[in-house]
Amino acid sequence: MTLGGSGSGVVVPRNFRLLEELERGEKGIGDGSVSYGMDDGDDIYMRSWTGTIIGPHNSVHEGRICQLKLFCDKDYPEKPPSVRFHSRINMTCVSHETGVIEPAKFGILANWQREYTMEDILTQLRKEMAAPHNRKLVQPPEGTFF
Amino acid sequence: MANSNLPRRIIKETQRLLSEPAPGISASPSEENMRYFNVMILGPTQSPYEGGVFKLELFLPEEYPMAAPKLGRICLDILKDKWSPALQIRTVLLSIQALLSAPNPDDPLSDNIAKHWKSNEAEAVETAKEWTRLYASGA
Repeated sequence: MTLGGSGSGVVVPRNFRLLEELERGEKGIGDGSVSYGMDDGDDIYMRSWTGTIIGPHNSVHEGRICQLKLFCDKDYPEKPPSVRFHSRINMTCVSHETGVIEPAKFGILANWQREYTMEDILTQLRKEMAAPHNRKLVQPPEGTFF
Repeated sequence: MANSNLPRRIIKETQRLLSEPAPGISASPSEENMRYFNVMILGPTQSPYEGGVFKLELFLPEEYPMAAPKLGRICLDILKDKWSPALQIRTVLLSIQALLSAPNPDDPLSDNIAKHWKSNEAEAVETAKEWTRLYASGA
């Protein structure tokens, strides 16, 4: 997928980029293992989003449904959104107190590029959940939230 | 970078929009991105939107003019399946202006507002006037 027209020299402005992402999210992505939608249809700046990740196979997260909050500020997509887990989770890149993903510990946020999308973030996080340093960590009970 | 290789068609259209603007419509490209326009449409006289200044953002995607300009969430056939490369930015903006004069509740973006419009037009028009005063007075 190429949202944002990378390589062509065409720069898609923020609001149009978010509208593209909204449309894509509404249609549904791939096998449904990650999804997202806008929280408030009346927010003309389209800032608050909820993402969902279905825990990957061969990990302690398998079968769990994790909810996240993504916040795209006015400087998105020049800057990455802030991302935090709503569902409690134990992962090396996630703050134990707040659920916030620490950008320095999560590559796609640390090395953010304008073409990256919320879908990319969720897909990468799902991979991260299955990574050797995360997939066996003891998890808080299901259905608990930050 | 954003302005390199801007197709001649876009340059021509932009020049004409600036030199011969359609009445009640202004469209000016952003300096950093010539495909991104700030648009203002004045509410047509004798419509509930009279006196309002409506700000829009317009973006010409890479495929333009084979694909329609993008304009946020507006339900207008020429922005979707009725688009033709023979149409222009100007035609699109004139169509939106016409939509303000004659809303089309049979093909709405918002079902609730369309329902209101069809069941009690006088009241819906009053709401439109009030919202124009509250949110589009140009202040």
